Amino acid sequence: MSFAPKTAPYSGKVNAVTLGTGDKAIVIGGQNVLPFYTFDAPIENAPKIGVEVSDLAASWDYPELKEFYAGCVTMADYAKKAETLEGCDFICLNFPGADPNGMNRSVADCVADAKAVAEVITKPIVVVGCKNVEKDGELLAAMAEALAGKNVLFMSAKNENYKTVGASVALANGQKVGAETADDINLAKQLNIMLKGLNVNPASVVMDIGTAAVGYGYEYAASTFDRIRLAALAQGDADLQMPILAAVCNDTWGVKESTASEEDEPAWGCREERAISMEIATAAADLTGGADAVVLRHPASVATVKKFITELV
Amino acid sequence: MALKGLDIFKLSPKKNCKECGSPTCMAFCMKVAQGAVSLDKCPYFSEEALATLNSATAPLMKTISVGDYKLGGETVLFRHEKTLVNKNLFAVCVCTDCADKADEKLAEVAKVDYERIGERMYVEFIHVANKQSDPAVYAELVKKAAATGRHLILECWDVECAKAALEVAGKKCILDGATPDNWEAMNELATKAGVTLGVWASNISDLYDTVKKLEGKGNKNLILDVTGATAKETLANAVNVRRTALKQEDRTFGYPSIVNVAKIAKGDDRMQTALAAMFVEKYASIIVMSHMSYAQALPLYGLRQNIFTDPQKPMKVEAKIYPINGADENAPVALTVDFALTYFLVSGELERSGQPVNLVITDASGMSVLTAWAAGKLSSSTIKKTFDELDIAGKIKNRTLIIPGKVAVMKGEIQEKLPEWNVVVGPLEAVQLPKYMKDKEYEAGAKAAEAERAAKAGTVVEEVKELSFEELLQTRVPKIEIVDMGVQYKGHNPESKTFVTIGERIHCIAPVIRKAMDERDPEPILKRAAEQIKAGATYLDVNIGPAEKDGPERMMWAVKLLQENFNNVPLALDTANMKAIEAGIKVYNRTNGKPIVNSADAGSRIGYIDLAAANDAICIALCSADGIAKDNDERMVHCDNMLERGLSLGMTSDDLWFDPLFLVVKGMQDKQMEVLEAIKMFSDKGLKSTGGLSNNSNGAPKHVRPIMDSALVAMCMMQGLTSAIVNPNDLRLMETIKSCDIFKNHVLYSDSYLEV
Repeated sequence: MSFAPKTAPYSGKVNAVTLGTGDKAIVIGGQNVLPFYTFDAPIENAPKIGVEVSDLAASWDYPELKEFYAGCVTMADYAKKAETLEGCDFICLNFPGADPNGMNRSVADCVADAKAVAEVITKPIVVVGCKNVEKDGELLAAMAEALAGKNVLFMSAKNENYKTVGASVALANGQKVGAETADDINLAKQLNIMLKGLNVNPASVVMDIGTAAVGYGYEYAASTFDRIRLAALAQGDADLQMPILAAVCNDTWGVKESTASEEDEPAWGCREERAISMEIATAAADLTGGADAVVLRHPASVATVKKFITELV
Repeated sequence: MALKGLDIFKLSPKKNCKECGSPTCMAFCMKVAQGAVSLDKCPYFSEEALATLNSATAPLMKTISVGDYKLGGETVLFRHEKTLVNKNLFAVCVCTDCADKADEKLAEVAKVDYERIGERMYVEFIHVANKQSDPAVYAELVKKAAATGRHLILECWDVECAKAALEVAGKKCILDGATPDNWEAMNELATKAGVTLGVWASNISDLYDTVKKLEGKGNKNLILDVTGATAKETLANAVNVRRTALKQEDRTFGYPSIVNVAKIAKGDDRMQTALAAMFVEKYASIIVMSHMSYAQALPLYGLRQNIFTDPQKPMKVEAKIYPINGADENAPVALTVDFALTYFLVSGELERSGQPVNLVITDASGMSVLTAWAAGKLSSSTIKKTFDELDIAGKIKNRTLIIPGKVAVMKGEIQEKLPEWNVVVGPLEAVQLPKYMKDKEYEAGAKAAEAERAAKAGTVVEEVKELSFEELLQTRVPKIEIVDMGVQYKGHNPESKTFVTIGERIHCIAPVIRKAMDERDPEPILKRAAEQIKAGATYLDVNIGPAEKDGPERMMWAVKLLQENFNNVPLALDTANMKAIEAGIKVYNRTNGKPIVNSADAGSRIGYIDLAAANDAICIALCSADGIAKDNDERMVHCDNMLERGLSLGMTSDDLWFDPLFLVVKGMQDKQMEVLEAIKMFSDKGLKSTGGLSNNSNGAPKHVRPIMDSALVAMCMMQGLTSAIVNPNDLRLMETIKSCDIFKNHVLYSDSYLEV
């Protein structure tokens, strides 16, 4: 052969973090090449897919999605159903209902929901709070205790509450902790260092580096992915070698392409298909950039993204 | 690719004959590398050496033009390294096997055609695949595709069919037909027709060899079809081709690429969406899909638009009315700026509110609300201009106008410029909008504004005579009281070579200063002035905000206040209101140096140079024209233009202080050295320079900023920076500047120089 491509495995490696327990436990991260660059070196762990279970799921008004979850009432019902999806590696519990500016559900209610879910499913759990910094401090601490021993990942510690969240989740209860920043490699690194300073084991940390739906300032997300992954692999920067989780559904289901009714945008066609397409395209872009796990809402997105990953690793 | 002197020397004749005028071949080659002399001054370089040198300076990846489009020409693998240049284009395929569906498909293609943030989104190419051997059949299908007016990709390995197709396809097409078996014949066809030739092979090694052979025949108008048997193989090909060209610097693979996701996704439309998203990021110049529905187009074109955004240019949306939630002429108006992220945030939150509202986007050069306001890009005049140009009052009947809470200060001025509207101040943050709109919080404000208007309507408006500066000074500028702030300005010799610090703390973007300016309250202003003078500032910058209404009296007051209280401290006058600057200069005392006009640029603010020239002032000249200069070539063009203008108006070059525009490390780490080089270029021309140096550390933690700022100032002073707009209260920075002035031999050394 006249031409042999130069392969480029790196000396740096993304941390491999285990979530869950028993034979359903999963490992995210572990690569020493750029996403899907199997021609450089084999991919140690394929990226994982989480399925979203939300405490506001009753308000999802898309026909196919409703149909899939028909008869589900509690979060546990939803989780059980979601777990049956082929391609579902873990369940992601979202608690937007706990937001004090919204329904302001109590911490106790949310904890009860999470416990009920943990009793009926066997796949690993990731918990996403309500995004209100103070409420999340309380909520995540209480859940970390209630779900002790399940090896759960809690999203997320931010600059404002990393001390409470880091201490309660990782130090007191030995769970995994997410470190969330907004599209900025410097802030991402800084938060990881601060968590380390708190004595949180870097091997217990997963990053949420701040993503967006495609079309909505995604260039910032794309470049943050590229820069963080290159820093982890090419420069061997241990403070940026944490695997990355992208909560795709939180970015895509609220944008106009996914929400505009067919009456308002007659040319655009089926609303549910648009929402699925936004979720798939954003997930594919995140995975191409370096997400080691993505969280999706729609069963159709799960199926396609699973196929996408399988064909590429 | 810049060649180093030693690389050229290796190929040189090494005769040291001196015919070129240089003492040695080595010296000559070094000069060539710097661009000081041209290579042809030496008659002894071999043909071969010249060819090597010429090709070494050619771009690694060619830009191929196909009809109206440009493909390839990329210089980096990741957008943060510089920028990506030519966006991916999309194709939809039709083929001879399913020719019966072609009409329907071609009609579908035309349906997706819309605009998003100033960019037309549509399918650029029709991909016409040939799977049979009758030239007439293929030509028939190509003819149909050509009738759509879109550019064509003819995927055809059969020479006779290709020949027939080219006759009906027109010039705007690619012949994707060369393989390791037929390349010679296809090469002839493509060359004769003058179209780009696509090359495909079943493996990347054969692809490489075939390109080599084609190049050997002199064809460099190529595009590589890197589609493999699977998604995995296709990604490997796309990445390896691009990486080989840009990293290994092997130009054989320096061509744009085609990826056919319709082939590898085998009929799964959603899978095509996923793969297309990946190939937008990973190196496909043209992506071929089996369909393009809106559901696919919306995310894919959105992604493409983001990925191919120049990191240095803010994304702007068009200034116009955006009706939200089915708003008609009876819905209220909300106003914001044209910065794309602001637009998305605000329109998203307004949509969430579920309330009909007309969002009016006004031109603000793609800046965020506060930045635009401070730069004078968002003012009652610019808003009035938008309202007039778009005929908003004619199109919308509702008279409620909600303005961003951050610019509440503009309410009065806007109300005056748009007297028929009821101006209401909206919330400070976009996230507060849903509640604000749902609860109709604007209604009370609108009623109050309306009542106020009605009350005014009865009174006869007095004819306002424009007052001269002298009259304004007599009647509108409060008397200055002298307050002992415990510190005095020590004086400044304008001839001194020491670094000039311009204190930035009197700025209207700070709420306390904004309020003090509005109320003519001396205390907060004097306090900040005293702090800065005590810390050793040479000049003080006085930013009075856009001050559209009362600019002249405001500036006269501020200038007198500061100079009379602080021993005629020299000032930089900073506002978008040129009349205000002129007025300020009228009352300005020059004992400690000329006033500085802050600032001109090479775009819409070029007139500030005229203003400075007419008033014998120094002028800060920002080397940009509404947006960051893309490289130093552009910076220097701006610099030369402004210099020429100043000199032609009788200024001396010493009175133009050039500002390279300091960039934030966080967003543009890779551009910092370029800014430093620009300073050196100013300095080499014998020009003075200044700028908002602390912008570099914007967004960094508080305790880190002084460290970064002082490191940068040291590097800048080494490059020849003569002044900077800084926070003088930053002790570390000021000490660094003093130390650098010692090293530069600008001041005498003594052990206690830091205290002096």
